[in-house]
Amino acid sequence: MTAVRAGAAALPGLLSQLGRDAADDARPVITVAVPAASLEDAVRRLAAHPGARLADVFAAGGGPAAGRDAAAAGPVVLRLVWGLDADRGYLITESEIEGERYPALSDIAPAAFYEECEIYEQFGIRPGGGKPLNRVALPPQAATTPGQAPPRLGRAPVEPPGDVHALHHVGGHAFEFPFGPVRQVGVESLYYGLVTSGEEVVDLYLFTWHKHRGVEWRLQGRTPREALFQVERTEGLGAVGNAWAFAVAAEAALGLEPPAPAARARAVALELERLYNHAAATAALCQSTGLVIGQAAAEIALERLLRVNAAAFGHRYLFGVVDIGGAAAGPDAAVLRRDLPGAYGELCRAADALLATNSFLDRLEATGILTQEAARRLGLVGPVARASGVATDTRVDHPGPPYAGLPPAVAAATAGDVLARFRVMLAESAESVRLIGDLLDAGAGPGRAEPVGTEPGGSQPRGETREARGGPARAGMAARSGLGWAESSRGEALAWVALDDTGRITRARLRPASVRNWRGFDDACRSQNVFTDIPIIEASFWLTVAGTSR
Amino acid sequence: MTLWFLRGLRRGVVTTRYPARPDASAAALPTPPAFRPEALTRALADRLAAACPSRALARDGDALVFDVGACTACGRCLAEAPGAATSSGEFELAATLPAHLVKRIPLLAGGGAAAPATEGGSP
Repeated sequence: MTAVRAGAAALPGLLSQLGRDAADDARPVITVAVPAASLEDAVRRLAAHPGARLADVFAAGGGPAAGRDAAAAGPVVLRLVWGLDADRGYLITESEIEGERYPALSDIAPAAFYEECEIYEQFGIRPGGGKPLNRVALPPQAATTPGQAPPRLGRAPVEPPGDVHALHHVGGHAFEFPFGPVRQVGVESLYYGLVTSGEEVVDLYLFTWHKHRGVEWRLQGRTPREALFQVERTEGLGAVGNAWAFAVAAEAALGLEPPAPAARARAVALELERLYNHAAATAALCQSTGLVIGQAAAEIALERLLRVNAAAFGHRYLFGVVDIGGAAAGPDAAVLRRDLPGAYGELCRAADALLATNSFLDRLEATGILTQEAARRLGLVGPVARASGVATDTRVDHPGPPYAGLPPAVAAATAGDVLARFRVMLAESAESVRLIGDLLDAGAGPGRAEPVGTEPGGSQPRGETREARGGPARAGMAARSGLGWAESSRGEALAWVALDDTGRITRARLRPASVRNWRGFDDACRSQNVFTDIPIIEASFWLTVAGTSR
Repeated sequence: MTLWFLRGLRRGVVTTRYPARPDASAAALPTPPAFRPEALTRALADRLAAACPSRALARDGDALVFDVGACTACGRCLAEAPGAATSSGEFELAATLPAHLVKRIPLLAGGGAAAPATEGGSP
């Protein structure tokens, strides 16, 4: 991975440079300092660049004093992460924002609206133009609970954000039907604001802040290895994907490169995570369509896959596999070769039966359609985007070890409905099983990169840094940052980490795939669907509230 | 449903035996630790408390206080003190009161003055 720093004037040259670097498998990450006055122009250029998509927007305090004492820090720095998929690289623009306003990014790149709301809540700066902003993270009572400071990353906004969707209108014969945040047993807290004229979904908006836990705020001051515990638990069903993205970011900052067998161990765990999530989505689709026999069949497959995880890695949900600099656990290859075909065969039998059941397919076909244009405009990722004809997959577009040598076949479809998403998940499951076989053949096991400065044969255990044992990473090391990514079962997971000169986190940004894809959910629900389609669409998206309300 | 009702009447119970059979996969699950009091010192107890990310461990005088309900079975204490902590193999932790999940484990190895707070402690 190479990181380059340059000014805005160098933007065109850097974009052409990216393609050449990618040809050498350099996994380039380019960081460009863009003055706030030039930010709007830079965003227009990048949005028009072929194959570019706005992957994330986040802010941080202006200096090392940022964090829990962010109010005392300098200007807020706004960072935009661009996935340049055609060029196989990422580009980060950094802009120091003086004052409380910055150019309205969502006017150019609509995918940025959610983050504009989030940044206003967390840092008190807002886009120009005076557009209304939503409450997306901190609950209303967070600022008013006596003796309890809200988990805010920066300074508080002057005016609290609104509690309703900015563009939401109820008129004519339509009325609003509130649903949630407490839903049926075992389903995460989520509030739907359903606008309907009786049965058809006219509009839908979500409140996700009921579950906000301030994870990014809690990571400040920790070492990357300490933080990994919380990162894995940010979104339990995406533990491997999110932890891998975070680990890559920390490794970029620390200059570590995981050993090849450890990288393959991570990939085995990631593909197992994809498998069990797709099985769980299949069971949820059956439940939402009232097909209890199919649901039971898919849940048997799910349970068998979870038991394979436990036998292979020691944890049903694959916690504790990813480590900073490598993998803390390796797969039991014999167990996987013996048990995985049977568990996957169970899923195949359930899927084959479902694909031959017309009453099931009728509910999926033409339900929750998401167009390719909407998927691109909103920057969606993963199976949701691929089923709408946006075949982005970081394992292919931004390959790192071990996928650079074992590229998966990307499953895609164009219909954009629930059935297309279901078929994409099934195709991906088959590909994951093939990949796991190849990864095991190549050799996968635990291991960790030897950090710079550890004396061979010294008193520290192999692979342990002072940072890893709870102390500073390396006395006098420079403050650094890094970007990481992984293709989780829901799509591209991103993480960005900044470390101070003692190796502790000053700002960690976690962007699970759920954060991106929830913004496409309301579009899919509005496309001529009725109430009873909503659980089917939600199952086909298979997102988590925890991932977005982190 | 009728069959279940008649079965309950005949046997005098309406529930099935638990577990119906041993679950072989349970052996592969992570479980909370079991501590050897004779291997625990105050210094080691402090290190264990610092290593625990979910704050399930704390030292109180000459006892290690272990809140099993807060334990996530992450295994960090096993790595920190392999001679003093082992995996308990116990994952069924139901209790009638939360207080029943808190254990006080005496530090029988005594010795070892309390260690200073490590830099890796949670903020």
